[in-house]
Amino acid sequence: MSVMLTKFESKSNRVKGLAFHPTQPLLAAALHNGSVQLWNYRMGVLVDRFEEHEGPVRGVAIHPTRALLATGGDDSKIKVWDIRPQNRRCLFTLHGHLDYVRTVQFHHEMPWILSASDDQTIRIWNSTSRNCIAVLTGHSHYVMSAQFHPKEDLIVSASMDQTVRVWDISTLRKTSPNTSGPGGMSNTNSGGFETFDSFSTVKHVLEGHDRGVNFAVFHPTLPLIISAADDRVVKIWRMSETKAWEVDSCRGHFNNVSSALFHPKHELIVSCGEDKTVRVWDLTKRTAIQTFRREQDRFWVLASHPNLNLFAAGHDSGLIVFKLERERPAFSVHQDTLYYVRDKYVRSFDFGTGSDIGLLSVRKFGSPYMPPRTLSFNPAERAVLLTISSDNGLYELSTLPQQAQGEVKDSGAEGKRASGQSAIFVARNRFAVLNKTAQLIEVRDLSNSVVKSIKAPVQTNEIFYGGTACLILSSTSSVVLYDIQQQKTIAEINSPPVKYVIWSADGQLVALMSKHTIMIANKTFSQHSLIHETIRIKSGAWDDSGVFIYSTLNHVKYCLSQGDHGVICTLDNPVYLTRVKGKTIYCLDRSARPRTITFDPTEYRFKLALLKHNYEEMLYIIKTSTLMGQSIIAYLQQKGFPEIALHFVQETNTRFELAIECGNLDVAMETAKTIDRPECWDKLAQQALKQGNHKVVEKAYQMTKNFDKLSFLYLATGSTEKLSKMQKIADARGDPMSRFHNALYTGDVEGRIATLRDVGLHPLAYLTAKTNGYEELATEILEAAGLTEADIDDVPDFGPSTLKPPPVITPTTDLNWPLVPAGENFFDRALANGTLEGIEPSTYANGDAGAGAASSALDAWAREEEVQDEVVDEGGWELDADAGEFQSAQDDEEPDAVSDESELGAGAAPGVDETELWVRNSPLAVDHVAAGSFESATQLLNRQFGVVNFAPLKPLFLSVYRASHVYISPVASLPPLQIHVRRNPSESAPSRVLPVAARSLQSIRAELSEGYRSVAGNRLAEAQMTFRSVLHALILVAISSDDEAKEWRETVTSAREYLLGVSIELERRRVAEQEPDNVKRNLELAAYFAHCQLQPLHLQIALRSAIGVFSRVNNHTHAALFARRLLDLNPDARIAAQARQRIAAGERNPRNAIDITYDEHTTFDICAASYTPIYKGTQAVRCPYTDASFLPQYAGQLDPLTQLTEIGAAASGLPAAW
Amino acid sequence: MDSYHVKQQFFLGAYRALADMKLPDQSSADFHSMLLYKARAFLALDDPKAALQVIGEDDENVTLRAVRALSKYTSVKEDTEKEAALEELRDLALEIEGEDSEHSEKDKAFVRVLAATAFVRAGETEEALETLGTDTEDLEAVALLVQIYLSINRPDLAKKQFERSKKWAEDDLLLQLIESNIGLVTGKDAYSNPLSFYTEQLANPSLTSPHVLTSRGITRILRNEIQEAQSDLDESLKEQPGDAETLAALCIAGTLGAMKPRETEELWSDFCSKHPDHPSVVDVAIKSNLFDQVVAKYTVPPIPAA
Repeated sequence: MSVMLTKFESKSNRVKGLAFHPTQPLLAAALHNGSVQLWNYRMGVLVDRFEEHEGPVRGVAIHPTRALLATGGDDSKIKVWDIRPQNRRCLFTLHGHLDYVRTVQFHHEMPWILSASDDQTIRIWNSTSRNCIAVLTGHSHYVMSAQFHPKEDLIVSASMDQTVRVWDISTLRKTSPNTSGPGGMSNTNSGGFETFDSFSTVKHVLEGHDRGVNFAVFHPTLPLIISAADDRVVKIWRMSETKAWEVDSCRGHFNNVSSALFHPKHELIVSCGEDKTVRVWDLTKRTAIQTFRREQDRFWVLASHPNLNLFAAGHDSGLIVFKLERERPAFSVHQDTLYYVRDKYVRSFDFGTGSDIGLLSVRKFGSPYMPPRTLSFNPAERAVLLTISSDNGLYELSTLPQQAQGEVKDSGAEGKRASGQSAIFVARNRFAVLNKTAQLIEVRDLSNSVVKSIKAPVQTNEIFYGGTACLILSSTSSVVLYDIQQQKTIAEINSPPVKYVIWSADGQLVALMSKHTIMIANKTFSQHSLIHETIRIKSGAWDDSGVFIYSTLNHVKYCLSQGDHGVICTLDNPVYLTRVKGKTIYCLDRSARPRTITFDPTEYRFKLALLKHNYEEMLYIIKTSTLMGQSIIAYLQQKGFPEIALHFVQETNTRFELAIECGNLDVAMETAKTIDRPECWDKLAQQALKQGNHKVVEKAYQMTKNFDKLSFLYLATGSTEKLSKMQKIADARGDPMSRFHNALYTGDVEGRIATLRDVGLHPLAYLTAKTNGYEELATEILEAAGLTEADIDDVPDFGPSTLKPPPVITPTTDLNWPLVPAGENFFDRALANGTLEGIEPSTYANGDAGAGAASSALDAWAREEEVQDEVVDEGGWELDADAGEFQSAQDDEEPDAVSDESELGAGAAPGVDETELWVRNSPLAVDHVAAGSFESATQLLNRQFGVVNFAPLKPLFLSVYRASHVYISPVASLPPLQIHVRRNPSESAPSRVLPVAARSLQSIRAELSEGYRSVAGNRLAEAQMTFRSVLHALILVAISSDDEAKEWRETVTSAREYLLGVSIELERRRVAEQEPDNVKRNLELAAYFAHCQLQPLHLQIALRSAIGVFSRVNNHTHAALFARRLLDLNPDARIAAQARQRIAAGERNPRNAIDITYDEHTTFDICAASYTPIYKGTQAVRCPYTDASFLPQYAGQLDPLTQLTEIGAAASGLPAAW
Repeated sequence: MDSYHVKQQFFLGAYRALADMKLPDQSSADFHSMLLYKARAFLALDDPKAALQVIGEDDENVTLRAVRALSKYTSVKEDTEKEAALEELRDLALEIEGEDSEHSEKDKAFVRVLAATAFVRAGETEEALETLGTDTEDLEAVALLVQIYLSINRPDLAKKQFERSKKWAEDDLLLQLIESNIGLVTGKDAYSNPLSFYTEQLANPSLTSPHVLTSRGITRILRNEIQEAQSDLDESLKEQPGDAETLAALCIAGTLGAMKPRETEELWSDFCSKHPDHPSVVDVAIKSNLFDQVVAKYTVPPIPAA
């Protein structure tokens, strides 16, 4: 045996204890520095750390079924931990040992913890009652280890007293059948050990080691014990009911042996020691099989996984996890048969019938402990070529019997063998063998004689079949396709070392698999795509449709030839895929037993169809598959087929939402009918209104009986006929408001008058009649009210009314004006029509019929309203209004889609410029700027923020525009192509593309901070410029969420406050310099500056400046006021002291020498133009952008802060574009 | 350099390398095609005089005549002269169409490509499309067609043309380039195709072209990977200082946050003065005028007297 496969290594302090988790890939390691680590050895990550022990931790154990960890350390404590990540903590500590605790172990079924200690005792603890329930005494020196027997009530212990002892604890189980220990236990705990001795007896004392024994353990099934001792020997002991005796010793370690274990499955012993080696021994022959040596590190502990072929060893500077033999079975697939090796027998497995038979024994081939590594099958000769790693690499060529015989023969008799690291069939009668040391590839015939010898063109580690007369050579950094006949390299691809090569069934594609990558290449290697996996890749097989299915340690995945990949299912344990057929994956498990996994290939088949634009197949999948997850919908949306995604959703509500989202009114309509809830109809109405499909709007309003909106819609579409019907309905409903509206909309003056009269509004009725020239009616009303003309001669004459509805210019009623382009493709049409055949023109009802249906609906409705007491049967009229109009809508769109077909060549009309899309997709000025649509951008800025002075924004406009377009010349001598830079590179749907955000809110905020620094550094002119430029930039920034909008508003506000404050302070300095006599103004400005909303740090500066100015002119009261505010900000001690002085001065001298306009008791804003206070409750106008306040007389002037906006202009504010 | 590599270099924009290339012996089979590529490389570098010098005076060969006409077209300034050069190309395109023309399909396609190039430059998109035809089986022609479709915002047609050519074209480098160009415009899969194409080409040991670096830089701008874009562009500039396309792209990367605003503005004004004809400069100038026009509609109220 020459392999010891390291699976994982970690670097740490010395490892003294190790324990595998029974089901998860976790390993606990106890370290000499007091820490206990929990590693995920499969992912190679440190999962957790437990650090409460003082001093080294030696013993560690994981509970066989529960999430518990026990540790024992040199602090004489045993701790039990909950290792679930969410409740990770120390549950309890067991006190009792008086010296180092060496090992701990959980019992496999009882709630017991076993511990061995340097206090010469072994203790058993009940983990439920947390009491010590037994103390085993007898050893006369440190007890180095104690282990339960895996089945029987026995314990084996090893001690520095050079003995190994076996203890019988059956009485313990009898006396404490329950989980809790005897009640008096804790009382007697302090008394002494004698009490417990009755529970356990020493059964055997094994003497034979010449030095202290470090470790002893039972064989899982046989009555055997092995022990490891400082006399450098591993001893094997046998025991019976009555006695135990030494069987043999394994000699070879040249220093203390620290630990030894039985292999859980094979007849092997693994030991490790301070001679820096791990050794493997044959249990039956007691001979050394393998030695693994480390240069620096002494080994201290070994652990084996309870179920898997996995070991761990701890050493001076960390730990290693390793396997003793490869698990990957050697196999080869030919047509419907799998040829593979299990337990050193070549077997065949028929995928069709499931028959699995042994064909040939290869027991004598290579090391008996090692399975063959590869198998290559030659169907013509029915021969197999096996390789094995033992003896430095061997291959064997033998023929398989035609049929399974009664007795399986051994290959040893006639097999042809020679040395070689890699061997495969390359033709019917040829095979190639790699000799790695000589870097020679020999081509041999079936009689094993060399016919050709080739020097490998690159350092080759392994060879694979490369297609006809070709080999694939795997080198450390590349993979080479090599033609044997021409002796020429055809292609070379850079790649990590390739370990397995799988050809697709048609030989067109090949998967080259390394540890963490899969490269899918075509047969000439001219095209390839690479997939990375963080988890180790184990195996793979091709699906019939050309999809590669592969397995990693914990997943089965698929990948398409262009590199798209996804998960099919998860695995508890690795499997080796052999074949994929339909919905079945055939594989071999770790013990080389054939298994199958059934899976759902729909997802990748669908993606494949999408990739190949095979719409028929897609349609078929959509129709037949029942389950389509969220992921496929997301995938479709991402790939730019949101409309298609719609067809996967069965659930009506989601379907409705999706349809609304992509503006598919047909589907929305259909689903809305099923859901039939007012909210849905409202939403549908809104969306349809947006798309201008008023017929759908009409229907939706009808469904929700939204009479008001319906009437208005009819008014807007100029549908007078329907309006009059609405009027009738309103009459029937007896709703005067509705009657009035409809009368108004139809221009029916008499109707209006009648309504007004009916509700008793005689004066209005009279006036309406009068002003519309209905003199008789007016008189009638007057009479009815019991009045005469004379009574109302104080009513002024209003003259004739001109109020009437506008005339209908375009008969919009019969037209739909779809604003959203109908980008229908094959697929849409097919899906909309439900069948592929549906592409053929089907008979549609024409537009008039649709309109007729709608109006007949109204008739029905009107009738229905008349008979009010009857139960309202909505279905009655719904039937009439149903399909017709929607089909007609579809009819309108159809010709567009068709005419859009092929127009390649000279007639190609220019398409929609992306900038137009940007303008269409965004209400933000900045996006219009980026699109170069300055006209609409300025309009937006004017409307949204009242901007009137654009000059300062010019550089921003130009730089935003410039940043959104990039030029590239892909073809020589042609003018470069202008490409538009998008905000979200993963969004390519025309209805959602937006220009790149030239300036981010973040970068502007950074600039704002720069302004802050200028303020702190007293560079006020600079700060003023910075704040102004920040405000300019903020008006052209792309906002995409409510949170961002909030942040934006905050930024605008603080920039505005600082700009105001800085401007005030600059003005104060100007006053101080140019008008030194104007002390009053100077003081006022200082006071106002201190009132701006600044950050505490800057507010302190403002306050200190104010204090200085005020105290200098003996305005002590005011100065004290500012000083108090300064103190509230917890300034530096020195400043605080000064402030207190000022307060004291103010108290001594409660006077203000100069009277100023400053009322500290009333809240005020500061007018940003005059720098005077606007007290709460007085009138103010505001900047439509920054919301800065101004005195009313400044309305209509330019905002002096930003110099952009008109003060007091009406503005709509930032639109929500998201 | 053999003709295969010459072609690859030409397609990937390594014009400088081709211009500096030593031509093989006159008798060599590759001589003629390499001569043409060399001349076209000069044209692509906007050096028509050098191109004319390279092709010499031979009047027999239709391909050489096409190159000469295109060189003339690009070198002359006067409209009448330009029109004369265009006429020459039109004649050539007609000549090869003749029933009894002895020209090989390859030569015909070559002439059409050059003629179409001139037509596009003259703004005659429709004529260019007509000249190239839709059923061409010449990848260079397809590349041209695709770019024309892309420039008139018809990526759908570009894609259709590409899909057609996939049926007859081997998986050529140029075909991949065409696909990548379409990807740049449509932005499919977050520009992953162009990005991986350029990345692959950069890893190609037999080719070095700063143009590829620039292209990848531009792709990265499109992917909003501004820092990475800047590093590509900087590296490209090291190999070809002053390259207009790279500088233009760098200005954009700068504006998008790769550089400080002041540095960007300096770079931009420097670029404007050195390359006043670059379409981005022209375009921005137009937009600047547009801004002034638009803004003139607004009256600016007085600023309040403090």
